[in-house]
Amino acid sequence: MFTLETGSGLWNPLAWLIAAIVLFIIAYWIRTFGEKGYKKGTDQEKIFFAGNEAPAVEAQHVRAANLYWGFKEGIGRWFEMLRDMHTGLATDYVLWFILTLAVILIIISLGKGVVQ
Amino acid sequence: MKLGPTFNKSLWVFHVNTGSCNGCDIEIIAALTPRYDVERFGIKLVGSPRHADVLLVTGPVTKQMAPVLKRIYDQTPDPKMVVVVGACGITGGVFHESYNLAGPVDNIIPVDVYVPGCAARPEAIIYGMAKAWIKLEQLEKKLMEEGGEE
Repeated sequence: MFTLETGSGLWNPLAWLIAAIVLFIIAYWIRTFGEKGYKKGTDQEKIFFAGNEAPAVEAQHVRAANLYWGFKEGIGRWFEMLRDMHTGLATDYVLWFILTLAVILIIISLGKGVVQ
Repeated sequence: MKLGPTFNKSLWVFHVNTGSCNGCDIEIIAALTPRYDVERFGIKLVGSPRHADVLLVTGPVTKQMAPVLKRIYDQTPDPKMVVVVGACGITGGVFHESYNLAGPVDNIIPVDVYVPGCAARPEAIIYGMAKAWIKLEQLEKKLMEEGGEE
């Protein structure tokens, strides 16, 4: 029942559901071995942060920007230069566009001259 | 599910340095090396007080470490033992007149076993741990008799 034959295997949501339930029961059974004698509402419930007050959960998250930490450290000066160039002003970007276009035109015209 | 005392695990220890010169810390490490090898008794250092049965405290407790020590003590599950290793933790030692001390240790948290020495020898530390173990077992027995869940 509910079995989908794909040709290279099969998929049955009921089998997965039963497997998930069995795994949940096993996990719950292992969890019951945990120490129950801790004092609720005290520091015994809190995260061990080398003896310091643990920061808020939001502050502990690894943010997406943290993934670029290595790049920022490795090519820091280049990164800073690029960031300075990205002012967010449309006129600056148009200026860069015109300058780059001018440089390309100069190169093309010089190259043409060399070929001739 | 609570297993009986027959299945009690060995003594797990969390080591806190509260401003020690590292002399006692080195002796604690020496107690773990093959010459003394306390791990053969199952005694081992753990990385979190939440897994520990015993707090092993060295150092005279500087003012900055006092709240940290208190918090670590509070985070250790009961029943627990506190063993102070070295003269500094017991009396302040050579630092006893320092402007920067909040200690000794028993000014901050209750202490069960004192291991004197400057630095305490590994044999003395092992002896102190054995004393702590006996005291912990007596405390656990008492709590079980009282019907406590701890």
